[in-house]
Amino acid sequence: MISFFIKRLLLLIPVFLAVSLVIFMIVHLVPGDPIDNLVQINSSPEQKAALAAKYGLDKPLYQQYAIWLGNALTGDLGDAIVLRRPVADLIAQNLPHSLSLGALALLFSTVVGITAGALAAIYKDSWIDRVTMTLILLGSTVPGFWLGLLLIMLFAVQLGWFPVSGARSWDALVLPVLTIGLGGVALVARVTRVAMMETARKDFVMMLHAKGVPPWRIELRHVLRHALLPVVTILSLRIGWILGGAVTVEFVFARPGLGSLLITSLNQRDYPVVQGALLMLAVAVMLGTLLGDIVQAAMDPRVRERIK
Amino acid sequence: MRYISKTRLFASSMLVSVSVFGLAIAANAQEATFVVSAQNVGTPSYNPINGTQLNDAITLIFDRMVIQDADQTFHGQLATEWESTADGMSWTFKLREGVTFHDGEPFNAETIVWWIPQFAETENAFMTAAIESVEVIDDLTVRFVMANPDPNLLSNMSSGFMSIPSPKAFDALGDDFGVTAAVGSGPFKLESFTVGQETVLSANEDYAWASDLSKNQGAPHIKTLTFREISEDSTAFLELSTGGVDLLYSVPTDFLPRLEGEPSVQVGTMPGTGLFYIPINTTVEPFTDIKVREATAFAINQKEILDNLYGGVGSVANTFLIDSLLAANVDPTLRISYDPDRSKAVLEEAGWVMSSDGVREKDGTKLQVALWTQNGTEFKRVTEVVQAQLKAVGIGADITVFDSATINDQYRKGTDHQLAVRSYSWANADIIDWFFSGQRLGYPNVSMWNDPTAEEMNLAAMSGSHTWEERVANFTTYHEYVLSQYVFAPIYQPVQIYAYDKEAISVPEAIRGTRLQSQTVVDITVN
Repeated sequence: MISFFIKRLLLLIPVFLAVSLVIFMIVHLVPGDPIDNLVQINSSPEQKAALAAKYGLDKPLYQQYAIWLGNALTGDLGDAIVLRRPVADLIAQNLPHSLSLGALALLFSTVVGITAGALAAIYKDSWIDRVTMTLILLGSTVPGFWLGLLLIMLFAVQLGWFPVSGARSWDALVLPVLTIGLGGVALVARVTRVAMMETARKDFVMMLHAKGVPPWRIELRHVLRHALLPVVTILSLRIGWILGGAVTVEFVFARPGLGSLLITSLNQRDYPVVQGALLMLAVAVMLGTLLGDIVQAAMDPRVRERIK
Repeated sequence: MRYISKTRLFASSMLVSVSVFGLAIAANAQEATFVVSAQNVGTPSYNPINGTQLNDAITLIFDRMVIQDADQTFHGQLATEWESTADGMSWTFKLREGVTFHDGEPFNAETIVWWIPQFAETENAFMTAAIESVEVIDDLTVRFVMANPDPNLLSNMSSGFMSIPSPKAFDALGDDFGVTAAVGSGPFKLESFTVGQETVLSANEDYAWASDLSKNQGAPHIKTLTFREISEDSTAFLELSTGGVDLLYSVPTDFLPRLEGEPSVQVGTMPGTGLFYIPINTTVEPFTDIKVREATAFAINQKEILDNLYGGVGSVANTFLIDSLLAANVDPTLRISYDPDRSKAVLEEAGWVMSSDGVREKDGTKLQVALWTQNGTEFKRVTEVVQAQLKAVGIGADITVFDSATINDQYRKGTDHQLAVRSYSWANADIIDWFFSGQRLGYPNVSMWNDPTAEEMNLAAMSGSHTWEERVANFTTYHEYVLSQYVFAPIYQPVQIYAYDKEAISVPEAIRGTRLQSQTVVDITVN
């Protein structure tokens, strides 16, 4: 198990390098210039050149990449050009907001998604199944941006239960968590339902029925447990997605977080911040996948067997 | 005994809750939340000296030497009187007595001696470039010895970039000034600043040096003022309509009907500082021919855009400058105002004849041009109308949409662009120099215009004027020449629209100044 963990961890190194290169290239090859956001109307070209030199933007791209990666590996993500602060500080300031939003949304979509999926599978072809699946279809097709505004209109404007935006109190988290979480519910519920229905057809389940085990016990203790394997995979892949996918939601709800930091910095072409934030998201995706693998290994003896 | 203690307990808990409730009301009574305009979201710092992007809270934390009223007249704030010599080579300022910074440091002549040189080597160096040295006459009088006359000096000094920080705090904090803390002498103190999120200010109870533009000459009525940054206009609007915030610094025009339907919301407007226009690249065919440029300029129906896209809010643009600038008063015959017959006639004169598909032709070449714009609903809508208006006189235009950070790069890289829909925000005539000087071809001189006569006029306007009047006259001449060459087509002048919750706060009817700044904010009361 430990050697598996180390092997998987080592595998992440080339992935990390490739991702960092892609991030760096995308950020630098997009037209636009952070210096444009620093200079005033009336400033001279010499001032621009001096600024470019100050931030190392006059060096060849490969040199800039080497410097950035070298520093990033020692934990130094550099200083924001436009925002004029260490990138690490900006990320540290925003990451907790993204993490709490992401964790709650993941928890919400896991609990509600598995429950809805299990209900739909257990009551297959009944009205419960059809209503759940219709709602889920709806949930998976509604864009987050629009759903967010819709939830604001209903719960903040009409009912006045929650604040419209911001992050000044705990209740400001409810609507953003719902907005992100509902999309996840749809996915988790669908996977749970299909996996449970497939498991229900397996021989061991028939055997349990033959032995006279109560049906609810078979569904919950045996079928659901087996069906959770693909659900864990899906959830681990969603960890990174939720952090990155919160971009529009953070924008609509005017919340701090990696997403809003990314949007602000992208508009200002603040290269170090965009690179730092993207790198954080990439690392989150990689660690999420790793976590998924480990949990899967812990849950499934067959996986453990394969590792050995 | 037990009963009594229970009663007491009940009574005291009631007392506590009533007083807590009372405190909450009292606190509410002095608190307000404003939302900065969406374009100011992500303003990096409150450092006026090296900042290039500042939001409206800057004028609340810091004071300026002079401030401008809505009619562009100058009023003293930290300066009480000023005069310049006839040749413009020396300016004397009398300073206000008894002013202290938030850290208790006094404001006096020494502050100015320290302050002016701070601009050197910064992005805002041009603000003080004409000042050679500062001399102390007495503790409250300074003289600026000028390297060359700068009739624009007062205008510069009234801008947020020339807000005066506490020298001690500025030197002590270094790069952190404006980021972790900002110390000025303004009506509010900076309590906390989270970039992209919010800025919390508290009233400066010692404030007793408001300008004559404010009724309230003491500390501001609002005791805690929070500036929130909300990128999405719909969210800001919903916050206002649910009472989550009290004032929006800017509201898009298309929100007006909805805001007017809200019983508690009051909408106000003030003259804008910006203008929409179409730069015409004078170096590529067919726009090397001044007649085609003239036809393009007169094909734009400014009134139609104002009425149909902006619901009549704002005003048409017929020159390159906003109406409130004196150099906008040009010879009426040079104003560019919709005249489709003139467009068609000059195109015919230039040999462009109408073909069956509605696009003109000359020697087998179609009058089909590229029309660039940037993303965003407003730009796209204006550009689509412009496209239709050009078509009406026989000019076909293909629209390309760029994101706003990319488009300037495109101008710099290539020189083959033709027309574009652009806007600027700047309340000074020197914007003509910025966009049309031969020194800045490509970007910002998107018109790629390099004309010897214009360059001479530019020189006279920018550095050859000794007095304000002379500067206005020189800029008017320069402006008129730019208009006569049809290097751009004017479109629209937006107004600044603000909105507030009239049940929560009272805002003076007349906004003193060109924006909603300290001179007005100190007069705002919480209901």
